[in-house]
Amino acid sequence: MDYSNQIRDIAAKLFAEGKIDVFVGYRMSGFDDNQVPVVITDPKETSVLVFTEKSVFNLTNYLKADHTRNKKVGVVVKGCDSRSLNLLLTESQVKRDKLYIVGVACEGVVDDKGNKMQNCMECFIPDAVVFDEMLGKPQGKKDYIVNADITELATKGLIERGKYFEEIFENCIRCNACRHSCPLCYCAKCCIDQETSTLYNGTNTSSSAFHALMTWSLHLAGRCVDCRNCEKACPSHLPLHLLHKQNEKVIYENFQNHLAGVEEGDRGAFYKYSLKDPDDFIM
Amino acid sequence: MSFSTFVTDKAGLQKLFEAIISKHETYAPVEKFGKYDYKKVSSLKECDPDSPIAMTMSVKPLFFPRSSKIMKYESNSAGTSVSETEDDHLAVPRVILGVKHCDARGLQVLEAVNKWDYIDSDFLKRRADTVIFSSRCDKADTHCFCTSLDYDVENLDAMDVALVNGSGGKIYVQARSEKGENFLKESLDQQSAVGSQQPAMDDIKKQYEAFAASFRLKMDYKDVNEKMSKRFNSPAFEEASRNCVSCNTCAFICPTCHCFKISDVKIKDTGVRYKSYDSCNNVYFTLEAGGHNPRPAKYRRWRQRSMHKFVFYKERFGVNLCVGCGHCAISCPVNISIFDVVNHVASSPLES
Repeated sequence: MDYSNQIRDIAAKLFAEGKIDVFVGYRMSGFDDNQVPVVITDPKETSVLVFTEKSVFNLTNYLKADHTRNKKVGVVVKGCDSRSLNLLLTESQVKRDKLYIVGVACEGVVDDKGNKMQNCMECFIPDAVVFDEMLGKPQGKKDYIVNADITELATKGLIERGKYFEEIFENCIRCNACRHSCPLCYCAKCCIDQETSTLYNGTNTSSSAFHALMTWSLHLAGRCVDCRNCEKACPSHLPLHLLHKQNEKVIYENFQNHLAGVEEGDRGAFYKYSLKDPDDFIM
Repeated sequence: MSFSTFVTDKAGLQKLFEAIISKHETYAPVEKFGKYDYKKVSSLKECDPDSPIAMTMSVKPLFFPRSSKIMKYESNSAGTSVSETEDDHLAVPRVILGVKHCDARGLQVLEAVNKWDYIDSDFLKRRADTVIFSSRCDKADTHCFCTSLDYDVENLDAMDVALVNGSGGKIYVQARSEKGENFLKESLDQQSAVGSQQPAMDDIKKQYEAFAASFRLKMDYKDVNEKMSKRFNSPAFEEASRNCVSCNTCAFICPTCHCFKISDVKIKDTGVRYKSYDSCNNVYFTLEAGGHNPRPAKYRRWRQRSMHKFVFYKERFGVNLCVGCGHCAISCPVNISIFDVVNHVASSPLES
């Protein structure tokens, strides 16, 4: 999977035609074979762009930033990234007519050690679902697979699971990097930033971390697209995907196989009403 | 004043560590989720004093906790009363094993700000009651640049005891402070003292030279200090910070960042006031009650962060606030290194 040349050509063409002011892509880190995001405003810099299986970070996070807001932006998206973009479009955070989306039929990305990432092995939407131009051969939708870690956790007892999650909350240092790196967190004032709240209060006590992480994960329930930006940002290497994947499983099973951002105009499981929604908790 | 040097080997060092753990309250890097953090240990098996630098959190939270209680308050019809809290983090005499040189230097740098203006007696007491064992690395990591900064990594006196790997499996145990000297004299066999024998000193020097040669990143800090102080209005800050996602990780894991926020945990009429980490990269950091924010743009926050590390602190206290550990670059989800940022700014054209 190497679309570096195509992406360079596309970016150069878009700048030349005046279709974009900014291009968001990847470049080599310069010190190892990993890649870092790059925000290009100068057409001469398009030669630094690359795209391989090392292009990990979800770039739709940058569409909310100062230098891309209200500008014409070109962006590269993989399957998962395009799902978060779909949600940002429905939630009116970005405008479709200001975007030029380069979609990629993704074959899966790898981590620092060169192993294919877990979310890519379980990926069910490898191709970009919203795009102006598609690179690579589309592979079509695959079957939904329940996350392997969730399946494994479900075999353990309640107390053992509780202890495992307690360890996660104890090791959280409350830097909120997970939230800031999440493409779908854009609230102007997040409730977990409250410093006078008894629940969140900004300290790194286990209870404060519990409330902050749970609130965050419930706000993303039915919206998380499993891009794992949060895990990349976490300085304590916490397995944050467990919180989201469990929600995803419950929603898939209870809300007519809902998967976030797969269809254009998707509003997220909790933002639409259907007569088929489960109501057995009421009666 | 010169301090003693002892020589031992891997088995001898393990025995020393085990003796320390059984006698004193000991903290050492403990692995969890692939990352090492300093925790209280009861046996050597639980911890790894040789943890890799890239995977180890800073030792700073043992001196400046991520959250600490600063006071309790209670209101009733008679008024409000304020009382001291028992802080769980206040020190008892303790030993910390496996501290990295850069991390120990970070504590030394922080002493300046903690002794200035408001004297943070808690921080100073914790440092005074602690014996720090620090091992010199054998090889630099991708993002390390400690040898390029304004401290002598070879003869650093920020720790109490320094460990150096010599040739042929020898390990040199050097006291670097009076506290360390006394501690070693109690716990080590005097037979193994090498004094200042030439072969041992040459061996230690050779290890340092091999270590210093392994660095990918090198810079002239005096040049960077001087150039950055003239480039406050440089557009280079905007260019360098463009792909930052403002996640604040860099400040939370930095061994020298010391900004904090105050928060109250209040139930009815009683409450506890906490002091917890904050980050200048956070958009709310400078937000005023009236709604005005003097640093609304990302590049302004980055300018504050890099100028504080390399200009403001240097002007006030005479040392760089950055110790070159590279933790910020390792933890950054988009691999922005403060090294790249300051060098990019320093090499940008001077605005007239």
